[in-house]
Amino acid sequence: MYTAHRSRRKLRAAAIIAAGVTSALILSACAGGGGGGGAEGEADSGTLNWWGWTPDISVGQAYIDAFNEEYPDITINYKQVPIEDWEAALRPALASPSGPDIFAMQPGARVEAFKSFAEDLTPLAEDTLGEDWEDKVSAIGVEGLSADGKLTAMSIGATYAGSVWINQDLFDKYNLTPPTTLDEWVDVCAEFKANGVGCFVQGASQEGFDQDTLQAISDSIEPGVWTSASKGDTPWTDPTIVKTLETWKSLFENGIMQDGAIGYAQYPDANNDFMSQKYAMVQMGTWYMQYATTAGQTAAIEAAGVADPKPFPIVPIPFPDVTGSGNPAAYYGDSDYGLALNTKSKNKAAARTFISWLTATEAGQQVVADKLNDIPALLGVEPNWDSIEQPFPDVQREPVQKLIADASASSESRFLYLNQDVQDAILAACTSVADGSATPEEAAATLDAAAVASRS
Amino acid sequence: MFEARSIQAKIGLQLLVTLLAIPYLLPLVAMVQGSLAGKGWGNFEAVLAVPGLWQFFLSSVIISASVIAIVYVVTMLASFGFAKLHIRNKEVYFWLLLACLTLPEVVLLAPLFATAISLGVYDTYWSVILPLAALQVPFAVLLARNFIDGIPNELFEAARVDGANSFRGFIYLVIPLTRPIAAAILIFTLIGAWNNYLLPLVFLQDPAKQTITLLPSYFIGQFSNDQTKVLASAVLTAIPEVLAYLFLQRLFERGLAAGAIK
Amino acid sequence: MVATTLQTPPTRQVPSDEPALKRRPHRLSPPGLPWILPALVLSVGLIYYCIGYTGVISTWDWDGISPNPEQVGLENYLKMVNSPVFWGAIWHTIVFFVVTFTAQTVLGLLFAVLLHSQVKLAVVYKVIVFVPVVLAPAIMAPVFRQFYGADGQFNWILEHIGLGAITQPWLGQSSTALWVLMAVAVWQWTGLTFVLYFAAMGQIDQSVLEAARIDGAGNIRTIVSIIWPGVRGTTVALAMLGAIGALKTFDLPWLITVGGPNGATEFLGTIIYRQTIPNYHVGYGAAVSIVLLVLALAMAILLQVRGREKVTVD
Repeated sequence: MYTAHRSRRKLRAAAIIAAGVTSALILSACAGGGGGGGAEGEADSGTLNWWGWTPDISVGQAYIDAFNEEYPDITINYKQVPIEDWEAALRPALASPSGPDIFAMQPGARVEAFKSFAEDLTPLAEDTLGEDWEDKVSAIGVEGLSADGKLTAMSIGATYAGSVWINQDLFDKYNLTPPTTLDEWVDVCAEFKANGVGCFVQGASQEGFDQDTLQAISDSIEPGVWTSASKGDTPWTDPTIVKTLETWKSLFENGIMQDGAIGYAQYPDANNDFMSQKYAMVQMGTWYMQYATTAGQTAAIEAAGVADPKPFPIVPIPFPDVTGSGNPAAYYGDSDYGLALNTKSKNKAAARTFISWLTATEAGQQVVADKLNDIPALLGVEPNWDSIEQPFPDVQREPVQKLIADASASSESRFLYLNQDVQDAILAACTSVADGSATPEEAAATLDAAAVASRS
Repeated sequence: MFEARSIQAKIGLQLLVTLLAIPYLLPLVAMVQGSLAGKGWGNFEAVLAVPGLWQFFLSSVIISASVIAIVYVVTMLASFGFAKLHIRNKEVYFWLLLACLTLPEVVLLAPLFATAISLGVYDTYWSVILPLAALQVPFAVLLARNFIDGIPNELFEAARVDGANSFRGFIYLVIPLTRPIAAAILIFTLIGAWNNYLLPLVFLQDPAKQTITLLPSYFIGQFSNDQTKVLASAVLTAIPEVLAYLFLQRLFERGLAAGAIK
Repeated sequence: MVATTLQTPPTRQVPSDEPALKRRPHRLSPPGLPWILPALVLSVGLIYYCIGYTGVISTWDWDGISPNPEQVGLENYLKMVNSPVFWGAIWHTIVFFVVTFTAQTVLGLLFAVLLHSQVKLAVVYKVIVFVPVVLAPAIMAPVFRQFYGADGQFNWILEHIGLGAITQPWLGQSSTALWVLMAVAVWQWTGLTFVLYFAAMGQIDQSVLEAARIDGAGNIRTIVSIIWPGVRGTTVALAMLGAIGALKTFDLPWLITVGGPNGATEFLGTIIYRQTIPNYHVGYGAAVSIVLLVLALAMAILLQVRGREKVTVD
C-alpha cells in the first residue's frame, strides 16, 4: 500500500477524502446510535417540543390546553410539519443533539426508520395502566408501533378507511338512494350527471387514497388477499389483485370516477369539491367524522372557497359491493400516530407525563375522542356526544356511531406492511391502469416485481 | 425597434403587447382572487394571527440580509479580481466557480448536515446563510464580472498613477460605479434567499428561527388543506420581494443593460 | 466561461499584438488571487466538498441513517440505467428544455422589441412580465394547481372565448400534464429572458438600425438580420442557463404534479428528492445526482463551444 505514494499531493488528497468519509461515517454512526445523551428532568415542570405531521395545530393546542389544566408547569410547543416534508425535517432533527422531545410516529416503514431514536415506552405503559396494559388498549395501536421487542411510541388512536361519505341533501334532492352495488352506483352517477352534479370524487394522484379503494375492492372479492400480498405472502399477480385492478379500471370507464381523477389530490382538490357540493360522494375514512360537526364542517366549507358556508348533512356509507360477491364491506386501519420519546430529550420525565396523559388516561383520551379525528386507543373511551355539536344529529349521529363500532371491530391493517417503494409501485399500477398505458395483468406484474425488489 | 408611423400601427402595437401581457397577469389575478375566497379578508386576518408571524418575518429578514451582504462583498471582490487583476489560470478558476451553477440544492442536504453538526452550526442561522450564499455567488459573479469588464481600464490606470493601490481603486472606483449591477445582484439574491424553503426546513428547528416560507404549512394538515389561507400567506410572503423589485427596478435594468450577460 | 466568450476581452480583438498584450496585464495588474479567494472558498469549497461526498455515497447502499452502509460499487448506477423512470425523466427534460427555451426566447424577444418601440405605459408591461420571476414556485404552485384544474380558471377562459370544446382536466392526464408545467415555467422565466434581451438591445448601435431603415428594411427584416444576430451572446448564455435549469427542474413538478400522473412529469430532480428523502435510498439518489451534474456540465460546455463556433464563423 505504501508503495503507492507517488506524490505527496496525491497522498494528501487521499487523506482529505478519507478524513471526509470517516467523519461522515462517524457522524452518521452518532446519528444512528440512539443511546447518547438525554436527561430525566422534573416530571411536572419543564418545556417540551413536540413535532408531528398531524394533528392540526388547533387540535394539538386543544390537547395541550387540556393537559395544562392538570399540569400547568409543563410548557409544550407543538410544531406541525407537512407530511411531505416529515422525513426531510425529522431525520436531521433526531440526529442532532437538539431534536424534539416528543415526535409523532407512524406505524410501518417509519417505525423502522426512526426506532433507534425512540425510547422503549413499555415501562411507561405498565406504570400507567398496569401489567395487563395490553388488554386495556386497542391492539392495532400496539403491533404497528412495536419493533425489536420495544414499544417505540404509544398510540393516540386509530383511523380506519373503507367508508364512503355522501352528501345526503343531494341524494334527497334527486330522489336517489346510496348505491350498494356497481350497477346502482353507475345509475346514481348517470342521474347526478344528467342534473349537472358530479357523482364520486377521488384524489387518485395520491397513493393512500387509491390504496383504500383498491383494498375495499379486493376485500369484497376475497377477504384477506390484500393483506397477504402486503405482507409478501401472496404475489401481487394473484388473480384477486388482477381482478381488483380490472374493477378499478371499470370505475373510470363507467363514469364513476371524475374526469382527470389521476391528477386530483384528495386534499385539497377532492375534499374541496365535496365540501362545495360539486360532488355527491367522496372516499374518506373515519377521520372524516370531524367534518360531521358544525364547527369542523363550516371551516372546511369556508376553506373550499365558499363565501357563505352552510353545513349540509354528510353521512358515511359502506363501500358498495362492486364485484357482487356478497362479502360485507371491510374496514382497515392503523394507529393514526403514536407519541415517541426522543432518547436524547433533556426532559424525559415531563415528556413521559404528557405522553401517558394523552394516550393512556381517560382524561386525555376523552379529549382525543371528542375531536372525532381519531378513534381513541384506550378501550372504553367514547366521544361525549352531548358535548359535540352536529349540524344534523338526526341523520348523522347513528351512522357515525355505527361507523366507529364497525371500524374498531376490524383488525385489518392499512399501511403497516407497505414500505414507501411498494406504495410508489401501487400508485404506478393505479395510474397506469387508469390511463390505459398498462393492462391490469401488466400493472400487477410490474407491481410485484417492484415489491420483490424492495424486499431483497 | 419596431417602427410605427401611423396611428393605426401604434394602436396595433399597443394592442399586441397588451394581448401578450394578459396571460402573465391572469395567474396573479387568480392568486389574489383565491386568497380572498371563502372568508375574504378574514383569510389575511387568520394568517396575520399566526402566533410568531413577526418572528418568522424577522428570521427571513435576518437570513436574506446576511446572504445579500455576504454575496455582495464576496462577489464584488471576486469580480474585480477576475475582471481587472492578474491571476494565473484565471479562466480555470472562473469555470470552477460557474460549474457550481449546475448543482441542485437537494444534493447539498446530506453533506451539509454532516458538516453543520460537526461545526456546531446546526439550528443556527449560519447553517442556512452560508449554503444559500454559496449557491448565489456563482451567478452573481457572472453578472458582476461582465459589468466590471465594461469599466474602462484607463480609469484604474489613472488611479494607479495617482498612487492608489488596488484596494483604494476598489473602494473609490468599483464600489460607486457598480451600483446598478449591485441592484441586480440584490434582487436575484433576495429572490433566492427569501423564497428558499428546503434549507430552513431541514436546518432550523427552533420555532423562533422559522422563516416566512414555512407559513403556508400552518394551513395544511394531514386531513385538511385550506387553500384560501395558503394563498393569502403566499400573497403576504411575496409583497416584500415585489416591493424591492419595484423600488430598484430602474437601477436593476441599468445594471443588466450595462453589462450582465451578453 | 460565459463571460469570456460572451463578451470578448479586448486583448483578443487585436491578434497581431497578442504577445505584447499578454504581458501587459502582468505589468499593470497587481496579483488578484487574494481577491477571488473568498468566493472560491465559499462556493467552490463548499460545493465541491458536497459533490465529492455525494460521489462517495453514490457507491453505497445507504438509508441515510444506518451506521454501516454497504459498499455496492456501481450497482446504483446500473439500477438507474435499467430504470424506465430514469429514461422517462431524461426525455421529459429534453422536451422541457426545447419547448420552454424556444417559447421564452420568442416571447422574450418579442416583448423586448415591442417595449423598445413607442409603446405607452411600458413600465407597467415590464413589471407584469417580470413579477413572476420574483415569486417562488412554492408560492405559485397552489395557484397553478387551481388555475389548470378541471374547473379552474383556464378552462373557464377557454369556454368564454368559444373554445369550450377543448376544455379538459389538464393536470389529470399524462398527455397534458407536462405541457402545463412547461406553460408555468415559461410564465415564470420569460421575465428574465425579456429583461436580458431588453438590455442587450439597448446596446445595439442605433445608426445601424437607422441605416437599415433607410435601405428600406421592414420590421421583420430588421429583427431577423440585425437584432437577432446582435443579441446572440445573450441567447447562448440563456440557452446554457436554460439547459442547466431544465436538468435541475424540481420545484414545479414536485409541487404541482408530484411527478405524476403516471410518471408523466418525473424529472431527475424529483427522482433524487423522492429516492433520497421519503424512500431512504440515499445512495441511489446520490448516483442520480452525479449523473445530473455530469450532464449539466456537458451541456454547459457543449453550448459554450457551439456558441463560440458561431461567433468565429460570422
